[in-house]
Amino acid sequence: MSQTTLPRRMSRTDSRSKATGATLYTADFEHRGALHAAVVRSTVSSARIRLIDCTAARSLDGVVAVVSAGDLPEALCGRRVRDMPLIARNVIRHVGERVAVVLAESRATAEAAAALVEVEYDDLRAVFDAQAALRDGAPRVHDEPWRYPGAVVTEAMHPNLQSVVSEGDADTTEDRLAQSAFLVDETYTIPSTKQGYLEPQAWLAVPLDDGRVRLRGTTKSPYRLREQVSTCLGLQPGDLEVEPTPLGGDFGGKGAPGDAPLCVALARMFKRPVRLVLRSAEDLTATDARHPASVRVRVGCDSSGALTAMAFDALFSGGAYAAHKPTATVNLHGAVEAALGYRLPAWSVRSRVVYTNTVPKGHMRAPGATATIFAVESAIDELAAAAGLDPVEFRAANLLGDGDVDAYGHRWRQARAVPTLRAAATAPASVPTPQGWAGGVGVAVYCRPTAASSTSMRLLPKADGGFEVEVPIPETGTANHTVVRELLAERLDVPAELVEVRQVSTSQLPGDPGVGGSRVTVGIAVAVDELARRWELSGKDGPVEVQSGDSLPKPVLSYAAQVARVAVDRATGQVKVLELVSAVDVARVVNPVAHQLQIDGGTVMGFGSAVMEDLIEDDGQLWAANLGELKLPCAADIPKLTTVLVEGGDGIGEANVKSIGELTNVAVPAAVANAIADAVGVRVRDLPLSAEKVWRGSQSLGEERGLRS
Amino acid sequence: MKLTVDLNGSTRHIDLDATTSLLDWLRSLGLTGTKEGCGIGVCGACTVLVDDLPVSSCLTLIGVLDDRHVVTVEGVADSDPGLVEAFVDCEAMQCGICTPGHVMAAAGARRAGVGLGDDSGDVDEEIRQWLAGNLCRCTGYETIVAAVRSYLER
Repeated sequence: MSQTTLPRRMSRTDSRSKATGATLYTADFEHRGALHAAVVRSTVSSARIRLIDCTAARSLDGVVAVVSAGDLPEALCGRRVRDMPLIARNVIRHVGERVAVVLAESRATAEAAAALVEVEYDDLRAVFDAQAALRDGAPRVHDEPWRYPGAVVTEAMHPNLQSVVSEGDADTTEDRLAQSAFLVDETYTIPSTKQGYLEPQAWLAVPLDDGRVRLRGTTKSPYRLREQVSTCLGLQPGDLEVEPTPLGGDFGGKGAPGDAPLCVALARMFKRPVRLVLRSAEDLTATDARHPASVRVRVGCDSSGALTAMAFDALFSGGAYAAHKPTATVNLHGAVEAALGYRLPAWSVRSRVVYTNTVPKGHMRAPGATATIFAVESAIDELAAAAGLDPVEFRAANLLGDGDVDAYGHRWRQARAVPTLRAAATAPASVPTPQGWAGGVGVAVYCRPTAASSTSMRLLPKADGGFEVEVPIPETGTANHTVVRELLAERLDVPAELVEVRQVSTSQLPGDPGVGGSRVTVGIAVAVDELARRWELSGKDGPVEVQSGDSLPKPVLSYAAQVARVAVDRATGQVKVLELVSAVDVARVVNPVAHQLQIDGGTVMGFGSAVMEDLIEDDGQLWAANLGELKLPCAADIPKLTTVLVEGGDGIGEANVKSIGELTNVAVPAAVANAIADAVGVRVRDLPLSAEKVWRGSQSLGEERGLRS
Repeated sequence: MKLTVDLNGSTRHIDLDATTSLLDWLRSLGLTGTKEGCGIGVCGACTVLVDDLPVSSCLTLIGVLDDRHVVTVEGVADSDPGLVEAFVDCEAMQCGICTPGHVMAAAGARRAGVGLGDDSGDVDEEIRQWLAGNLCRCTGYETIVAAVRSYLER
């Protein structure tokens, strides 16, 4: 399968300024007269604050104020459920929670003073584990969570629930499972990790003379942030202007309001700019890490290998606040869509998210899907093994095909699961297994709908025949501004270098939902179509503006099938991932390099989840709260990466595009687990897939064999 | 503490607390191309050259820099345009926060004679080992390794 793409006209818009260090990120902006903030964060998981002693902190030269809850409005913030206080009000619910904030004339002074704030706590009972949180009589993380604005739970539910979604037909599913010739019933677990962006979250809130506040910060969704902050503080959206700023990485972590509402409140209160730049360890400890999960999958097939039913039951630890989850269900769509990929005569899905006294969890690249697909694609492999069937053929016989109706009742005109799977499975191995190691091959498939959503843009003709395009979307690194340039240049039939793309502030365009949900390229494509039409209609004169969204195209499905080739040392359990093959179901690729970077970066993130990453939450403390302990893959760690583009798919818009950003990070852990099972017969159901777990598995396998013989 | 530092080819006489980090000093001069990532010498976003060797400027105290030569990304952008071109040509970045650090690691690689191949003559593997102190969460490293190789071959 060859790569047919648009001709390469120009490199990405941002490469030179990034390579020379000229690109300015939030922390690179100073503001004359700014107060520097440093947050005092809780060291305990569950407590009542007895005393905050600021005497020593206040006595430091250059300290302007030490602020705690009593000095601030009683405001709650969140993306959907508003359950998170600006700053802890009497009660502490997690390590890293905001207790007080120091404002000083320099960052060093603020941090030194923050270390001098003495906080005395009266410990309360805490609950850390999601399972334990749902027991009768478990400590309540919140007294009455159903009272929070936006809450989706009721008083009748367990008080530690953040969200429950139940879909499908449980009774039929139980019947069909009971009648299955082969059945797998296993539970799979994944720990928390961090999105792993290298730029810590940072905010600069500048009060203006007219009473408004101009905010610059690490946000991937400026318009939503404006709404969240203004709702939290009782302002009008127009009272706040979010400045365009590139991001130093996101991967889902920079959609939450974070410390922005606090900084805006402080800037208004002190009538001075407030600048807060988190330290990396603080960012890891106190911002929105990935939800750890425990997923039970029961899946069966008949004697011919046709799937009979699947019962999927996920339990996520949501941490101390639900505030970081944006969806209407306050759940994780990766889990809710667990039944999407296969033809299932009967199915049930339940996904529960619970409050625990741990760091509030948020979105990370394909939220919920890493846990879901690790569980489902491991279970599918286990079922194939139980039925004595080849894992590739077993999948091929059961995956959705063109015209199939998925479990949720949606008919997909095109579902290219099987060609994508075959493309991955037939890619030739290019790395030999080292001598003395056991080699294994594993496969896993991820299916994801691509849907466009509304966005806005403005086209301004320039005197030289070129164009300026104003967009609401920050450049998170995915080359989305480059994609705007290339698509628009094509539609307007001008050289790409004549199109200049600029992100503008939230006061200058109608709106945008932000980067996320794999919506950017497809959303851009639809908006560019509309913009080009308006430009024609305007007689090619004057600025034209669009807000797309009136008639969005139907969603399409995208697939990634990934093959892992591993070598396992039987004596120690050490796993070497030799090669990861990613076959990706694509329509037309706009910018081949940017597209490939999304594939590679995603695959490596999946590799990190598979074999390396764990924040190690222990009684609410994070033991890997620095980038030395939280091991993100480096250049020397990663295996050979091979990509097969399965082209010719039906995409969205006249550009015929599909999304790519959240496809290749998801199935890697299952593919590696399946490869380990293939190599040494050991099934590891807990991420990361460490040598210790493989070794322990091989020991018990030996014992079983010993008993049998 | 009074000291003299050669920064990007110009001599600076400074009087600073010896425990000021090199990173903080550079950024206070407006040289914001050097980024603070992890702050503990792991991620490499703050890499600069000190006497031709790449170091984490977050862990380097100004007090040890008397009579040393410091080169930042702003310095190589002017003096070694081929280095920037290699990263631009290979599109060796996405969000870009790690890019100046990778550029400086590449500058250090050439000065250290990297690129002749490891024991088995595998240049890419040698580059990957050299870059092990520079994290990138976006790209998967393929184009970064290609950029460094392209630069070393220039």
